[in-house]
Amino acid sequence: MTGNSTNLLQGTLDLLILKALVTGELHGLGVSRRIEQMTRGTFLVKPGSLFPALHRMEENGWLTSFWGESENRRRAKYYRLTKAGERQLGQETTEWQKIALAMTHALKTS
Amino acid sequence: MALWSRTKSLWRSWFRRRAVEADLDDEVRTFIELTADEKIARGSTPVEARRAALAEIGGAERLKQSVRDQRAGTALDSVAQDLRFGIHQVVQSPAFAATLIATLTLSIGISATVFSVLYAMVIRPLPYRGVSRIVALDTRSASGSPQSASYPEYLDWRRMAHSFTALAGLTQQTVGLEAGSGPLALREIQGTDNFFDVFGVNPILGRTFAPGEDQNGRNDIAVLSYEVWQQDFGGRASVVGQTIHLDGNRYTVIGVMPAGFRFPINAINAVYAPLHLAPNQRDNRGNHWLRTVARLKPGVTARQAEADLDTIFTQLGKNDEFNAGRIVHAVDLTTWVVGDTANSLRLLLCAVLAVLVIGCVNEAGLLLARGVRREREIALRSALGARRGRIVRQLVTEALVFAALGAAGGVALAYGLLNLIRMLLIASLSRGAEVSINVPVLAAALVISVAVTLVAALIPALRLSGIAPTMALKSGGGAGTSRGQHRLRTGFVVTQVALALTLLVVSGLLLDMLSRLRSASLGFRPDHLLTAEIDLPHGRYQGRNVLADFYQPLMDRVAALPGVRAVGLIQMLPVQGWGWNSEHIHIYGTAPLRNPRTDPAEVRFVSQGYYQVFQDALIEGRLLDPRLDKPTTRVVCVVNQAFVKKFIPSGRDPVGMEIGDNDQTQTMPDQDNPRILIVGVVKNIRQSIYQPPFPEMDYLIAQIPPAESMNATGSMHLVIRTAVAPSSLVPALHHAFMQVDPTVPLRQPQTMDAVIADVLTFERLENWLFGAFAALAVLLAVVGLYGLLSHEVELSTREIGIRLALGATRGTIVQGIFRRVAWMVGIGVAIGLALTAAAQRFIGSVVAVRAERNASLIAALVLGLLAAGLLATALPALRASGIEPIEALRDE
Repeated sequence: MTGNSTNLLQGTLDLLILKALVTGELHGLGVSRRIEQMTRGTFLVKPGSLFPALHRMEENGWLTSFWGESENRRRAKYYRLTKAGERQLGQETTEWQKIALAMTHALKTS
Repeated sequence: MALWSRTKSLWRSWFRRRAVEADLDDEVRTFIELTADEKIARGSTPVEARRAALAEIGGAERLKQSVRDQRAGTALDSVAQDLRFGIHQVVQSPAFAATLIATLTLSIGISATVFSVLYAMVIRPLPYRGVSRIVALDTRSASGSPQSASYPEYLDWRRMAHSFTALAGLTQQTVGLEAGSGPLALREIQGTDNFFDVFGVNPILGRTFAPGEDQNGRNDIAVLSYEVWQQDFGGRASVVGQTIHLDGNRYTVIGVMPAGFRFPINAINAVYAPLHLAPNQRDNRGNHWLRTVARLKPGVTARQAEADLDTIFTQLGKNDEFNAGRIVHAVDLTTWVVGDTANSLRLLLCAVLAVLVIGCVNEAGLLLARGVRREREIALRSALGARRGRIVRQLVTEALVFAALGAAGGVALAYGLLNLIRMLLIASLSRGAEVSINVPVLAAALVISVAVTLVAALIPALRLSGIAPTMALKSGGGAGTSRGQHRLRTGFVVTQVALALTLLVVSGLLLDMLSRLRSASLGFRPDHLLTAEIDLPHGRYQGRNVLADFYQPLMDRVAALPGVRAVGLIQMLPVQGWGWNSEHIHIYGTAPLRNPRTDPAEVRFVSQGYYQVFQDALIEGRLLDPRLDKPTTRVVCVVNQAFVKKFIPSGRDPVGMEIGDNDQTQTMPDQDNPRILIVGVVKNIRQSIYQPPFPEMDYLIAQIPPAESMNATGSMHLVIRTAVAPSSLVPALHHAFMQVDPTVPLRQPQTMDAVIADVLTFERLENWLFGAFAALAVLLAVVGLYGLLSHEVELSTREIGIRLALGATRGTIVQGIFRRVAWMVGIGVAIGLALTAAAQRFIGSVVAVRAERNASLIAALVLGLLAAGLLATALPALRASGIEPIEALRDE
């Protein structure tokens, strides 16, 4: 994968994955592409970060997984938000907005 | 929710590991395929697309591992890894593992077993309610010799005493219970009507004695012990009200006691009945036969009860000769039951602890040495990035593998040993039958030794994981040579030697005592001697001439058996029993003794054959002879050498002298002449194995008036001198009994050797245990010594190499090692001797230690231990002398 990528901030990945799944279930590659799309190509999530995160979040109960068929008829593992995942998304969004606001403010003052 | 999904995940990753792994494989593969599909769609060739996709995930295996690390099961997974590694270690170093596990097994197993025995015999509460208030009355005559109560005295005491809620009397005998298959020998405890009130234990069926039921006419009732009820009456509730026959008398069963109730505590297969008094017992104040036991009133102490009884004795003493100066000790029941063995058992307990300590020291030493040896390995792990916690966990898991194996072995050993002890050794100890493993103690032994193992494993782990790896790797040869470590190892060696020596000396002294007791001059040869106890049924033989009706026909039949040299009777078997004595000895024509009561003489009733069985007895005069000594002729006796020494002034001929024996003239009234004539002197035949011969007077049973014969000779020992192996005569003996009277219960005949062994049971048990302990302790100490010393040599390989390179000779090196060992062992021996001296206070109450006799023994043991220590040094020292300086230095 080419293009300029920015390193993901610690904790941002979870938020992005949760957000990516709001619109519906996706398989691993789908999550990766959706994030790329949502961030207009700024964040490219590599499988080495993506899969551990997905499994961890599933263990935390934010996601569930099931086997389904992909758009090009391959058997793929799909992830979907749970109720707990939705709550987590809400919390992390609020949190993130606070941080973003603070950072913006901090960088403006000189 | 999170908890649940984590638990689910844990479950999945542990028990559905394969499914989870397959799932992960699939997921990663799909990802690669999907990525490749994408690239093909953008125009790549399939081969190119696939390669690019693989490159993107950066190694499928690493990806999977990073996913696995997120799972809940990972920590457990690494524990399993450690466990496998630990087991691998056990397999890899079998000698080390075997030593450590054996040490654990032996120290846990043996200490738990012995403690269980001690608990069962000494510590466990007796099965009565409010045991602390029950006292056995140990009454003695003014001279201090044991003297039970007579029945009239008992009634006075009971009436006058204020200290007791119940004061009961009891006596016991063997009776035959008539059962379908012939008579069964039971223990019959006859008590006063308040017997059960003393113990406060209720029957599980029926009732116990009601007041007044010890009176004639109302007393043919019986309470069964639980064992008898189960074994002989099938545990049927309908037994209450049933009639049973004891020695031919009819008794009605009125109740059954619960399991565990027993008094006296060694009375197995007991049946309890009220007293049945013969006229002589009921009215004769001088006939002392009734044992007493009592329950104190609340708030009354044993001392106050003694004072109460003393007052009563003084009062009664004004009118009768027996109570004046009478001494009583109210002994609390626990002391009374445990008795003389308590000190020996405490000694054993110390031995157990010593072995446990030696075992633990050994374990600690081995593990510490091993920890030092692994310093480099651990430093390497740490250098490669292992976290501190991870290293500690690994070492502890390994130690746990050892500990678990050792603990399992220990538990198995404890159960096995206990079965062995139950089977072989303690049948005759008073509470022996009820010994079972003491679970709290086993648990304690387990916890202690496992904890020691863990601590010993943890110390190096913590220390090493804290070291900067470069330091440990660099300093190589310096490992474990710190001053603190060195001192610790020296401490271990000294402790082991000291404790091992103490155990050795104590067991040596005990073994020495045993061999002295065994070889003590008994006055007869115990081989080819068979003995059998006979208890004639009172109901059947009371008032009959037992000699003519039973004993003589029996002896005639036995004498005719092939292989029998001689056969005789005596009422107390030598070595086994004593205390049937007479206190009013006066020899006519000599100055009266100052206090005739302080010098009793043992009284024996024998048949003529007795002296032939015990061989070459006569020293002077003649033996008793039924052709000369008849019921109608003058009463005569023979006395032993101890009697002559005690009562006859030196230089005078005892034969022909006359004895005034008040006690015996009651049994053998001879209207014409109350004086008893001494017709002969016989050699001493030991009455007790522990004490010097007592003065003894022997009477011929043929001279006992038929009316008295049951009282004096109702219970006898048949003794047979054989030409063949004594036990081979047992079937023929049974047959002879059946022919004479099939209703007489026959106890299993015993050889005299077995009787002596039985008397010495406790000594044998003690010696066996001590011997085992000492052997174990020495073994452990030698193994520990060897382990620590070879470790020492290993650690100083580099130093030795340098010294050799600098010109030291191999001799100097070996000498140095031996000198150091000699120092350590020497200090250990010194401390061990001091400990032994301290232990003597205990031993003194068990063994009479004679220093001059035992000094050589102690010296020999010390030398032996020193030799063992030096032997343990030899191999490591040899190895040290073989070190090549070049290699030793290059090795670093």
